[in-house]
Amino acid sequence: MVTKRQLGIIVIALSLLAIFGVTAVDFIGAGKWGGFGPLQRIGIGLGVAAIAVGLILIRLGNRPA
Amino acid sequence: MSRILKSLSAILTALAILAYVGYLVVYVAYAVDLFRWPFDYDQGEGFELYDAILYSQGEWPYRDNSTYPFYASNYPPLFHLLIVPLLPIVGPRLIAGRLVSFTATLITSTVIFAVVRRKAGGWFIPIASGLAFLASNYVYQIGPLCRMHMTMVMFETLAIAFIAEFEQPQHGRRNLILGLLMLFCAGYTKQMAVFTVAAALSFVFLHDVKKAIGAGAALTIAAGIAFWLLNTATDGQWWINIIQANVNEFDYRQTVFLFSQWLRLHTVFVLLAGGYLAYELFWDRLSAYSLWFFFALGAGALSGKWGAGFGYFTTAIAAACLTSGLALGRLRNIDRRLQIADRQSPPSILQSPPSILHSPLSNLQSLFFSTLPVLIPLLYLFQAPRMLHLPTAGPVFGPLAHALGVADALIEGDCTTFQYHDTMGYTQLGHLLTTDDYAAGEKILNYVRTADGPVFSEEAMFSLLADEPVVTNPTQLLNLYNNGLLDMTEIIERINRQEFGVIIFRAQFYPAPVLEAIGQNYQPVEHVCMNGFYYHILWPHRRLDSLSGPSNERCALSIAR
Repeated sequence: MVTKRQLGIIVIALSLLAIFGVTAVDFIGAGKWGGFGPLQRIGIGLGVAAIAVGLILIRLGNRPA
Repeated sequence: MSRILKSLSAILTALAILAYVGYLVVYVAYAVDLFRWPFDYDQGEGFELYDAILYSQGEWPYRDNSTYPFYASNYPPLFHLLIVPLLPIVGPRLIAGRLVSFTATLITSTVIFAVVRRKAGGWFIPIASGLAFLASNYVYQIGPLCRMHMTMVMFETLAIAFIAEFEQPQHGRRNLILGLLMLFCAGYTKQMAVFTVAAALSFVFLHDVKKAIGAGAALTIAAGIAFWLLNTATDGQWWINIIQANVNEFDYRQTVFLFSQWLRLHTVFVLLAGGYLAYELFWDRLSAYSLWFFFALGAGALSGKWGAGFGYFTTAIAAACLTSGLALGRLRNIDRRLQIADRQSPPSILQSPPSILHSPLSNLQSLFFSTLPVLIPLLYLFQAPRMLHLPTAGPVFGPLAHALGVADALIEGDCTTFQYHDTMGYTQLGHLLTTDDYAAGEKILNYVRTADGPVFSEEAMFSLLADEPVVTNPTQLLNLYNNGLLDMTEIIERINRQEFGVIIFRAQFYPAPVLEAIGQNYQPVEHVCMNGFYYHILWPHRRLDSLSGPSNERCALSIAR
């Protein structure tokens, strides 16, 4: 059984991975916008929101998720 | 509850049921109208039927697109296989697929009803939740079409209903296996079911990590073996047509637009489902249903893909209708528990509080819970007009549209005004067919029957109804062309030789070089308005050249008419 704390850690890890991926696409030359595109901004925004959710979940401790 | 509140609750409940039953009547009327319509209503219906016909003949629809008849399917086989048993009964007609899809929506609605009834009890909320699914503008429009999407949603709903009960002491193992089987079926109906697979396995993972790994491995192996067998049997055409051809351009603005439209049309269900997800995430355990709703939003996010559309939200709608019903049922049950506790022993409320309330009831909370029997039907009533859609002509719908004040708020097609109102705004679907549409269909069919060569049509039904071979699947050719996977040598050579007796365009979804070759070798002879769209009929130059003089040309055109 996964706890809220574990779920929070999973959510944060996935969010950081997503943010890294969204940022990294510029370095490999993907995407059609020259700079930081609108999809990237949406991705970063959702990633930051998910990290906030993950932090709350971590504080909820060992209750079952 | 006071007598006034009880009476008000009963009246509002009856009105809400009436509203959603009204939507069901509109849905059935639309479905019956479509069952009679022999031509494509939505571009692509005929190709789905043709896939079923190929299966019934023991042939694969995953073929090489670069050779005649330049046709391949870009969808998995299950929906088409479900149509096959109906073909001997109704013939190679669209009604076979439309019946399968329509039935799938009714089953989905019934499953939503059954789950909410089982979890929340009562009658009103389960009935309203089940009917709400059918009342959605999106479900209404694509539910009775010969398209596979709603069959996928049915399998997804069944999968989640089974997997949610995988820890049941008596039938847990059976439920898990059935759930996995339904996920397999959903995935082999349409690839988009991957989001529901993720939701179901995440739910099992949260409860039992070992079982999740086992279930995930079993599903992956089963799906993988089927995938390998199909790919081997079709010489690799399965991979090209199902996976590679589905990598399309993505426009995030379309996704944003469709998300806001979906939220505007289904506001109450989405907010309740979202609220319930947050409640379970922070205050309770996550249910399979809330997780499903969350993951279904991922499917919606893909709606910006070229060729995608509002249909990508139908899984999220099923999840929202179900989860909102559970949320309201939970609130109502808290109210009931409070009433019982209050009657039995007032201090016991403080000793054993319901999970949602950790403090003595404030006056506001008390007022809220006492008015719930009125608020719940009121919420469904508030939601009902947000999804308003109905035909605006005819002996029943005409006066009803006048009474609702939408008789003049109609939708403009390319070449006609649909006698149909939809709060969604512009849509190509949802309207009923007219006698002019039937006449136009016959006129186009006459061009097909009098053609002196194969028919190059953007819709398959003209060829199927005339017993002609189906040539090209335009969007598939375009997808492959956009991904650099289409060799167009043969198709362009045949166009240049003017081998095709007639060309029928609707949206011109062909690769640019194909359109250019057609432009150089074929000439429009008539533009027929059918089902709100112009169908462009083109003849080869050689046919027009063979007619000496304008009088003969007019004569030839009149023959085709």
